[in-house]
Amino acid sequence: MRTRDEDPSVGEAMNSGAADPEAAIHTRRNHDAIAHLANDLLPALIAKLAASGLGEIEVREGGWKARLRMPAPADDGRRSAGRAADGHSAHASARGAAHARPEEPSRRLRPEPEVVEEPGRVAAKSPAVGVYNPRRDLVVGMRVRAGDRIGSVNVLGVGQDVVAPVDGVIGSSLAEAGEAVEYGQELVRIELPERAAEAEDELAAFAGVAGKA
Amino acid sequence: MFNKILVANRGEIALRILRACRTLGIGAVVAYSEADRDSLAAQLADEAICIGPADAKHSYLSAPAIISAAVVTGCDAIHPGYGFLSEDEGFADVVRAHGLAFIGPSAEVLERFASKEATRRILGGHGLPTIPGSGMLRDEAHALDEAERIGYPVLIKPSAGGGGKGMRLVRTARELESGLKVSRSEAKAGFGDDALYLEKYIDDTRHVEIQVAVDRFGNAVHMGDRDCSVQRRHQKIIEEAPSPALSDAARQELAERALAAVSAAGYENLGTLEFLVDPNGDAYFIEINCRIQVEHPITELLTGIDMVALQIRIAAGEPLGITQADVVPRGHAIEFRILAEDPAKDFRPQAGQVGAYLAPGGPGVRMDSHLYPGYDIPSYYDSLLGKLCVWAPDRSQAIARGDAALRELLVDGIVTNIDLHRAILANQVFIDGKVTTNLLDRVGSAPFVAAGNR
Repeated sequence: MRTRDEDPSVGEAMNSGAADPEAAIHTRRNHDAIAHLANDLLPALIAKLAASGLGEIEVREGGWKARLRMPAPADDGRRSAGRAADGHSAHASARGAAHARPEEPSRRLRPEPEVVEEPGRVAAKSPAVGVYNPRRDLVVGMRVRAGDRIGSVNVLGVGQDVVAPVDGVIGSSLAEAGEAVEYGQELVRIELPERAAEAEDELAAFAGVAGKA
Repeated sequence: MFNKILVANRGEIALRILRACRTLGIGAVVAYSEADRDSLAAQLADEAICIGPADAKHSYLSAPAIISAAVVTGCDAIHPGYGFLSEDEGFADVVRAHGLAFIGPSAEVLERFASKEATRRILGGHGLPTIPGSGMLRDEAHALDEAERIGYPVLIKPSAGGGGKGMRLVRTARELESGLKVSRSEAKAGFGDDALYLEKYIDDTRHVEIQVAVDRFGNAVHMGDRDCSVQRRHQKIIEEAPSPALSDAARQELAERALAAVSAAGYENLGTLEFLVDPNGDAYFIEINCRIQVEHPITELLTGIDMVALQIRIAAGEPLGITQADVVPRGHAIEFRILAEDPAKDFRPQAGQVGAYLAPGGPGVRMDSHLYPGYDIPSYYDSLLGKLCVWAPDRSQAIARGDAALRELLVDGIVTNIDLHRAILANQVFIDGKVTTNLLDRVGSAPFVAAGNR
């Protein structure tokens, strides 16, 4: 089981210099710094961000900076929580950005949700239309906090962060690396904390297996 | 010709563009915002892609979102429809920089005609009559001389800003002298610039426009005129073609002058030149619209030309394929803009779910609408629900068909202006073909609303 200070996904802690994975001592120091950020700094920052109404805040400390961003479209204030939670189920598919319907389209002039949201499961969604790439170290079972960057969507050469909408554990991928995705498309399942124990049991069963789901 | 076009708009025009693509045998991808997921265009399209949230700033007005959608779906052209980014020269330029075609005039042409003032100067230089006016006023003596030359009444207008602030109607030299002082201080306070000029004031005008099409080889045709004088607060409500305000000779002359001027000025693609026509029948050029217009179907009904298909072919670099002799307008057509607005409550926009919906039919009846039973009308965009267009061999038959079609049209669950249209059709001023742009605002819409409720 991962402990928090080993978890590279905590916060959006980034080394402002280039990280050197070979330098073990350096890594150790990085982990200490991450632990400090995660345990002391981030909870305060998260509270501050939520209270401020700002979309993003960034702080620097020593060689480190931490940037927190609210889930992408929340800034326009129009997306209701209900909309955010009901998912992109009606239209988006894991097949890709544009839903090709070469055959007789299944007309739904009276729209009905096609997929019933499973309680206790949410997904990180695409902040834009473009090409999706998950974070390289993203693995099933990884613990994430709300606002953690878990990948990006390339919009005409500019990356837009895909962030975890809630605290939880990374579940299955719903889009492949390099796949064209649309705005709001579900990209990665996030299992909620109440199901985390279950997820960790699953993880234990897959112990040692790395890579994308 | 293009392989696949991204439709970067919504509502009835998205559907109209989709239909044009299908008849041309071109693929189409409908780009939609989250609020338009259940829109008819998104549902009927072979492909549809969500480009952003309901707020148009992040979807239909977002150049990166639209261009990225075109790139990832393999489109080679973008159709902007009307409104949104349709006349944005910056957008047209960025579209081209990404190797895609913008279906409309080039960025250079859009830029040349972006400013109303510059456009009037350019096209005035190519023989179009413009509203007589002065240059910037130097002092009071200069203003009095210029007003005398133009002829009272005149409007005092600030060079900066808009929205009527600092604008003043004066009918005598004495009114001009006092008006100048007030306008100058208002302009200074409002825009930080007290430069003023004079323009002849024309009362009781008609709004008449000329439709043109120009390809990149310089082939050009006009498709006659449209009359859009039935307006409320500068919003067109009913359009008809041909205009009852012009004699056939005047119509012909205006269309030919308009076409000659835009051709000489290097215009390209579809365009509409708008004129004010005074009670003497004299026309003054006011502006050009560099896009497909809402009211294009009445020109299609008269000429039999698919204007959206023509626009796409011109943008793809094809020659017009028709000459002026091929454009033969026949009969009379009227368009009614069906709006989700409550005329009894100051035209407040309506949102909500459409219950039953029934489009009218019969000879010469065309309904361009994105409605369907159960459709939820989002509150984020304009109130246009569709356009009911009728054609008949002459104007009185067109009015009769219009009234019959309006009676048949059923939009349940939403308050609309359908009854207001019927009341206008029944009004003697409309029947006589004498509506001026200020009519609804001058008499108020109350008499029409009351008549519509009977």
